[in-house]
Amino acid sequence: MRTIILSAALMAAAIFTSCSTKKPEYPAAEATPKPLGAVVEIKAPLGLPPVPVPAGNPPTAETIALGRKLFYDKRISVDATISCASCHDPKFGFADAKQFSDGVGGKKGGRNAPTVINSAYSTLQFWDGRAPSLEKQAEGPMGNPVEMAHNAPDVEKKLSADPVYRAEFDKAFGPGPITYEKASMAMASFERTVLSGNSPFDRYLYGGDKKALSAGAIRGLAVFRDAKKGNCAVCHSVGEKDALFTDNKFHNLGAGMDAKGELTDLGRFAVTNQEADRGAFRTSMLRDIAQTAPYMHDGSLKTLKDVVDFYVGGGNSNPNRDKEIKSLDHLTKQERADLVTFLESLTGELPSNVGPVQ
Amino acid sequence: MRTGALITVARKNRAAKGSAARLSLITICVLAALAAAGCSGEKKTETAASKPEEKAAPAVTKIDPATAATVTGKVKLDGKRPAKKSINMSEEAECRRLHKGAVYEESVVAGADGGLAYAFVYVKSGLEGKTFEAAKEPVKIDQRGCTFQPRVLGIRVGQTLSVSNSDPVSHNIHPMPKDNREWNQQQPPQAPGLEREFARPEVMIPVKCNVHAWMRSYIGVVDHPYFAVTGEQGVFELKGLPPGEYTIEAWQEKYGTLEQKVTLAASASQAIEFKFKGE
Ligand code: HEC
Ligand code: HEC
Ligand SMILES: [Cu+2]
Repeated sequence: MRTIILSAALMAAAIFTSCSTKKPEYPAAEATPKPLGAVVEIKAPLGLPPVPVPAGNPPTAETIALGRKLFYDKRISVDATISCASCHDPKFGFADAKQFSDGVGGKKGGRNAPTVINSAYSTLQFWDGRAPSLEKQAEGPMGNPVEMAHNAPDVEKKLSADPVYRAEFDKAFGPGPITYEKASMAMASFERTVLSGNSPFDRYLYGGDKKALSAGAIRGLAVFRDAKKGNCAVCHSVGEKDALFTDNKFHNLGAGMDAKGELTDLGRFAVTNQEADRGAFRTSMLRDIAQTAPYMHDGSLKTLKDVVDFYVGGGNSNPNRDKEIKSLDHLTKQERADLVTFLESLTGELPSNVGPVQ
Repeated sequence: MRTGALITVARKNRAAKGSAARLSLITICVLAALAAAGCSGEKKTETAASKPEEKAAPAVTKIDPATAATVTGKVKLDGKRPAKKSINMSEEAECRRLHKGAVYEESVVAGADGGLAYAFVYVKSGLEGKTFEAAKEPVKIDQRGCTFQPRVLGIRVGQTLSVSNSDPVSHNIHPMPKDNREWNQQQPPQAPGLEREFARPEVMIPVKCNVHAWMRSYIGVVDHPYFAVTGEQGVFELKGLPPGEYTIEAWQEKYGTLEQKVTLAASASQAIEFKFKGE
C-alpha cells in the first residue's frame, strides 16, 4: 500500500517540484519534450480570467487527452490501486472527503487534499506554495537523474509496456521514449482544463443575470465583500471582470492548533524561513467549496458553518495571526447564515470532458 | 512502517544537504505532500528542542495537619435580588434546541435564604513566601448547552485548564486577562480538548465565546490551594491553612469584592460571612 501511494505521488511530485526552492540542475544534453499537435485554446468559463499557459507546454488536444487518462489511471501506482483521482476525485470537487488522504490517515501534521480545480491560476502550488508553478513543477525533478533516481524509471517502464500508451505519447510528443517529464507535462495540461466557473455567483455578478442568486446569497456576497462586515474579499479577491477568490498570498489564520495552542504545521515558513510566514497558508480559491469538505489545510472544519464560525471567532490566536483576522462577532445570525448560502452559490460547472475516460 | 522509515531518512538527508548519498528530493517532497511532515516537522522539532529547561521548583512549605486551621462561611445577598433574565439564544438555532425551557442568565444566583452562588472566595494575603505542592488534576471547563460550565471556577497558577466542547456547534473560547496572556481558540463540534494554563495570579479573568455573545465565565487564578467557589447555598470552606493572619476576599461578578481579616489560631475553625448589598 505504501509503495503504491509513494508511486502515485511520485507522479504528483513530477508535477510539483520538491520542497527545495533551489533550481534543479539540468544535464545539458537532455532535450525538453515539446507537444506536437495544434495548440488549443483553453476557454475560461464565465467568471474566470484567461488561463495562463506556459510557453514550454502549450496545451494540445493530444497532451490534454493523455493527461486525463494518466490522471485517472490506477496503473501508474505499483499495485494498480491508486490514481491521482483517488485523492482528487471529481465526485468530491477534485478533492477527497477525508481529513487526510489515505495512507496518511491519523498521521499528525497531515494535510487535507486540496482541489485541483482552477489550480491553473495558482501562482504557487500546495498549501505552502513550495512548488513555484505548474510549469516549473513539470521541469522540476524531471531533468535531474539524481532526484529521479528512485521510482521514475519504474513508472516509465510500466507505461512503456502498454502499446496504447506508447502510441498516445508518440502522438502527443513525437516518437521517442515515454518519460516521466512527458507524463507530467500532459497531466499539467489536463489540469489546466479542470476549471470551474459559470456558477450562480458568476452569472449574477458577471453575466448580468440578476435572478441567478437567491436573496440570501446576494446578501451573503455583500457581507463577504464589505470590509466592515465579513471582510473576506480582502484575501479571497473578487474582481471587476472575474473572481479567483484568492490573492495567491499566504496568511496565518491560526487554523491547525494543538491542545496547547501551538501551530501543528508551520506552513509557508518551512519553505521561506521567514518569521512572518510561520503558520501561513495559501488563500483558498473557494470555487465549488460546498463539495470539498472538510476545510482548511488540516481538514479540521467539517462544514461551511464551522468555517464561518471560525472567522466569526477571529480564528485562533497566535503571535502571527494575520491582522485582517479579527473577531466578527458583530455579524448577526442572518449575516452568518447568508455567508454560508453565498459560499454554496460558488458551485459552478466543470467541462464535460474532465471526468474519467469511459 | 515503511513511510515512517523513509521520512526519517529524508529528514536526515535534508539536514545533510548536498550529500552525495541523498535520497531523491522527490521522495522527500512526496512524503511532504502526503504527510506534510517532511517539510514542517523538522522545524518543529528544533523549536521544541530549543525551549529552555524548566526551573526546579522551590521547596514546598510544610503544613502540619495537627495545627491546620479552617475558615468556613457563607456569601449572602442582602436586599432585593434582581429579576431573573433569560438568555436569548435564538441567534443560534442549534443552541436553542439544546434547551427545553428558558435559559437564565447566571450573573446573580441566590438561594431562598439569600445564599449567593458563584462567588469566588480566596486567601488574598497572608500566604506570602509560601510554596505549595502543584495541583495534579486539571480544572475542567465545558462548553455545554451554549454556556460555560461552570460559570465561575478557580485554578492554580500553572495548573492545567482543560477545555471541552460538548455541543453540536463551534465555540471559540476567549479569556480576557490583564496580567496573563490573552488567547482565543475555536473548538468545532467533537474537537479534541484544549489544555492551557495561566502563568500569573489574577482574580478574575473574564472569559467569553467569540461566537456567542451571551456566553460568560470567570476564572480566578491564585498561587495557592486556598480558594472556593460557592454553591447554591452560598457556602464555602477553606481548609488546611497554617495558623496566622489572613485577608480573605469574596468576589462576585455583579457586586464586586468584599474582604475580611481573620486571625487563625492553631486548629481553629472560624466562620465568617460576606454580605453583598443588592439594589
Ligand atoms: C494520496 C493522496 C494523493 C494522491 C494520490 C495525489 N495527490 Fe495531489 N495532493 C494531495 C495532497 C494531500 C496535497 C496537498 C499537499 C500540500 O499542500 O502539502 C496535494 C496537492 C496537489 C496539488 C496542488 C493543489 C493546490 O491547490 O496547491 C495538485 C495540482 C495535485 N495535488 C495534483 C495531483 C496529481 C496530478 C496527482 C497524480 C499524479 C496527485 N495529485 C496525486 C494528495 C494526493
Ligand atoms: C487574511 C486573509 C483571509 C481572510 C480575511 C479570509 N480568508 Fe478564508 N482563507 C484564507 C486562507 C489563508 C485560507 C487557508 C487557511 C488554512 O488552510 O490554514 C482560507 C480558507 C478558507 C476556507 C476553506 C477553504 C478550503 O478549501 O478548505 C473558506 C471556506 C474560507 N476561507 C472562507 C472565508 C470567508 C467566508 C471569509 C470571511 C468571513 C474569509 N475566508 C476571510 C484567507 C483569508
Ligand atoms: Cu460559543
